[in-house]
Amino acid sequence: MAMLGLMAFFCAMPGLGLYASALGRGTEAIDEANVEFRRAIIAVREAEAVGASEDRLRILVEKLNSALWMIDRADGLLLQGDVAGASAQAERGIEISRKIVSDAVKLRDESIQSTHYGRIFTFGLVPVASLLVTAGAHFGWKWWRRREIDRTMRMEIRGAKEPEEES
Amino acid sequence: MLKLSEDGKRAVTIFISATIVFSTLAYVAVTPRPREQFFQIYVLGETRKVERYYPNNNPNILVGQVVRWHLGATNFMGSVQYVVIKVKLGNSTIKAPDDVKYVPSPAPLLLQFKRVLVNNETWEFPFVWVIREIGVNGGMVNPALLEINGVGVRNSQVGALKGYNFRVVFELWTFDLESESLVFGWRTGAERRVAWLQIWFNATSPAIR
Repeated sequence: MAMLGLMAFFCAMPGLGLYASALGRGTEAIDEANVEFRRAIIAVREAEAVGASEDRLRILVEKLNSALWMIDRADGLLLQGDVAGASAQAERGIEISRKIVSDAVKLRDESIQSTHYGRIFTFGLVPVASLLVTAGAHFGWKWWRRREIDRTMRMEIRGAKEPEEES
Repeated sequence: MLKLSEDGKRAVTIFISATIVFSTLAYVAVTPRPREQFFQIYVLGETRKVERYYPNNNPNILVGQVVRWHLGATNFMGSVQYVVIKVKLGNSTIKAPDDVKYVPSPAPLLLQFKRVLVNNETWEFPFVWVIREIGVNGGMVNPALLEINGVGVRNSQVGALKGYNFRVVFELWTFDLESESLVFGWRTGAERRVAWLQIWFNATSPAIR
């Protein structure tokens, strides 16, 4: 009897079932957008951790904020009952978040490489700088010693002045 | 055994000393310095100063009276952070957030503001609110409809005797990488910290007073 009643209810209101399924799709899209957004944040943080440049990070963060705005807007539209609009906004949010993930992965790989080369260059400079200092000290010492010897050689013996002459 | 002249010995000594000094400098240059990691959250009055939080400096807010504040947060965490400021409406009996146990206030959420911030970035925005409707039930008064930054928010849960001692609570939530979820406050190493603010007001109309 109850089943018959339920069937009669759904037959009488076919739009309700359609709306419920559309609402479900809208909610799913927003949930997926939130998951993708979180992935995007994690990807950006990973790029930052390996030393990505601030300017390029700022661009990614701007994109993250626009994805966030779209997800919020999708939430708002869903509350107002605009399921199609909410799904469309959520899809845009997903698209942007996925693009951020791929950009962040690229940025991370580039940053790893440039940080690696930067470190090699910095530590590679150590023996070069040490050699320059050693050569400078060595030749500086020799020059100073030669100058001191020459100065000693040029010295003249002067007679001590008589005390009477002084007065 | 290799015999070195006086000059040779001196050169080797200088080379080793210089290598030690330059290696230390190189290590310091490539290693990021540890810094204190924290957030700053603030609310300013309508003049963007720590004053004039209420119209005519009167905390008794009337229906339709516009209250203008400026809400801000700064990220000093040394990394990109996803920040959410949750705005809640409380009264004198609802618990405030717990700084020791890191528990947020159980007060109902009115609205939340979300943003991703780069390191050292300050996010400031106007927070304009109006009480549109007041509900009175016996001696209990509740702001039934609030408008925050143009968005209407209904409240049926929080009331106060004669409309005295309501508070707007601002809580800072951040995205935690470990749990991959939003948490109240933030983590710095093994430590956990929270930041929140509250501003008291009365929702009393002259008739109720």
